[in-house]
Amino acid sequence: MPTTSNPSNTTSQPEQAEVTALPMAHVGRFNFIGFQTLLLKEIRRFTKVWMQTVLSPLMSTALYFLIFGVALGSRLREVDGVPYIQYVVPGLVMMSMINASFLNTSSSLFQSKINGTINDILIAPLGWMEILSAYIAAAAVRAFVVGGLVWSTAAFFIGPQIHNLGLTLFFALTVVVAFALLGLVVALHAQKFDHLAVIPSFVLTPLTFLGGVFYSVDMLPEPWSNVATYNPILHMVSGLRHGMLGTGDVNPATAAVVVLCVLAPAAALTARTFARGTKLRS
Amino acid sequence: MKTLEIKGEGEPKTPSVAPQKATSAYSGPALRIRGLHKKYGNLHAVDNVDLEVPEGEIFALLGPNGAGKSTLIHCITGLAVPTSGSIEVFGHDVGTHFQTTRRLVGLVPQEITYDPFFTPQESLLIQMGFMGLKPDPKWANQLLETFALWQHRRAYTRALSGGMKRRLLIAKALAHRPKLLFLDEPTAGVDVELRQEVWREVKKLRDRGTTIILTTHYLQEAEELADRVGMIRSGKIVLVEDKKTLLDNYQKRFLVVALKDRKQSDLLPKDAWARDDGRWMIPWESEAHLEQLLAELRGKIAHLEFSQTTLEDIFVNVMHQRNPGGSNNRGSNNHGQ
Repeated sequence: MPTTSNPSNTTSQPEQAEVTALPMAHVGRFNFIGFQTLLLKEIRRFTKVWMQTVLSPLMSTALYFLIFGVALGSRLREVDGVPYIQYVVPGLVMMSMINASFLNTSSSLFQSKINGTINDILIAPLGWMEILSAYIAAAAVRAFVVGGLVWSTAAFFIGPQIHNLGLTLFFALTVVVAFALLGLVVALHAQKFDHLAVIPSFVLTPLTFLGGVFYSVDMLPEPWSNVATYNPILHMVSGLRHGMLGTGDVNPATAAVVVLCVLAPAAALTARTFARGTKLRS
Repeated sequence: MKTLEIKGEGEPKTPSVAPQKATSAYSGPALRIRGLHKKYGNLHAVDNVDLEVPEGEIFALLGPNGAGKSTLIHCITGLAVPTSGSIEVFGHDVGTHFQTTRRLVGLVPQEITYDPFFTPQESLLIQMGFMGLKPDPKWANQLLETFALWQHRRAYTRALSGGMKRRLLIAKALAHRPKLLFLDEPTAGVDVELRQEVWREVKKLRDRGTTIILTTHYLQEAEELADRVGMIRSGKIVLVEDKKTLLDNYQKRFLVVALKDRKQSDLLPKDAWARDDGRWMIPWESEAHLEQLLAELRGKIAHLEFSQTTLEDIFVNVMHQRNPGGSNNRGSNNHGQ
């Protein structure tokens, strides 16, 4: 090979002698370095395009806050005893976290499939536990960064609102994991970029907007207020609202059960899919 | 080493945590495949393959498009799940000890793949991490230098030329210092100069103890590099032979002559035959035989050149289910004057 400037003041070829003496390092049940590498790679991936992945959703949510919270909210009465501008904040945080989580796993895994770099992971000594946990953890980091910035922006104008930190973190974390899993499943089955847009456009956005982000279901006429309770995102938003404001459409225990009922089968299905290599290994 | 049947699972149910064998004490083949099948619906992509590749050899796996070469490699490297059969890499079963075998195996894929978000330097360090190794910047830099990527180490991979991306793939495959390296058409689409550079690097790797399994469409590549040759047709291994033995056994040498007077062809040996262009192919076996032929043909020859069967001729015959060195062999004029 033609050589260029020498990186390490050596003129020798790579120390291929070591190739013959590969140390049989202990390989445990969990490839922690592999997990850590995939996690950091995924975090670096979204931070390298931070304007698209962090700034853009922050801007959108800030606009929602400005329009619904400040402009229209000043004309609305209190909701559940909370000023409307405060009432919308948990919904906006949850909406931004759901989107960030779903988009991080779905776009990353799908792009890896399309450009073939998923094979770098599949030929490595990484089991389904390492792969899944790294993708989910990276999605959680992005979701908490975006959600945290949305909450901080709102807090700058109306002051910090955390009623119950444990409840807030519980709902934020479980929902983020659930939508990270959904993103992985969608990416596995997607054949083209169009397919990736189906769930956000036709499922997530309608369910989110109809899930009490901007209003209480009490404000809907029957039967719609009753129908709305079948929307799992209503329970997620309501749970986070209980955590942040101490009020919500649904009892937090009921909301927690619904969230766990969504999360558990999603986790089991995704784990099984990855363990079997479905849509990953031919 | 107990070999367990692969039941078609993408990952083993319980990755082994048992202490692995010390590779240095292992004296068996680098790769042992027994009764391997891979089906896609009704398509038998890999059909009852048995194969052993000793440590330290370059093994060329040859076959036409769709013969099952890549599928076989994918079964070994974990990209495909075998339908049945067993695969051992340095004595470790790829199903039950996948963490160990994947550390031992490197793959240069056929398609050029790259992550547009990362630089070559980052890509190498990431690959080390995936393999469970701590980042080794010195080793990464040496690979970058060896494969002439040092100047581009901080460029996004999407900005690299096709040849550079191909070299990066080879460097990535070596990032964890594999003992068994698969090169799936490593020089497809690269220019002649780079191809020869890749060949030199492959030979160096072999000389340093790496076992290499190569698939290629360039028969010249296999002839240049391989110690042994395997030929695969419709998922079945139809021939495995030492390259030298193969060429010695089936290779024929020919005198290619044009006669001054075509009517004198009855003077030629009975085993001579005419080509489409009217020139005669006369097989010869020894220097004495050659001298005798030349003496007999003195003064009668308008044109003379030498030819011999190549691996490509043998390959074509095998793929057409003919005797590798049979009479259908037409010879190639690789020593034409």
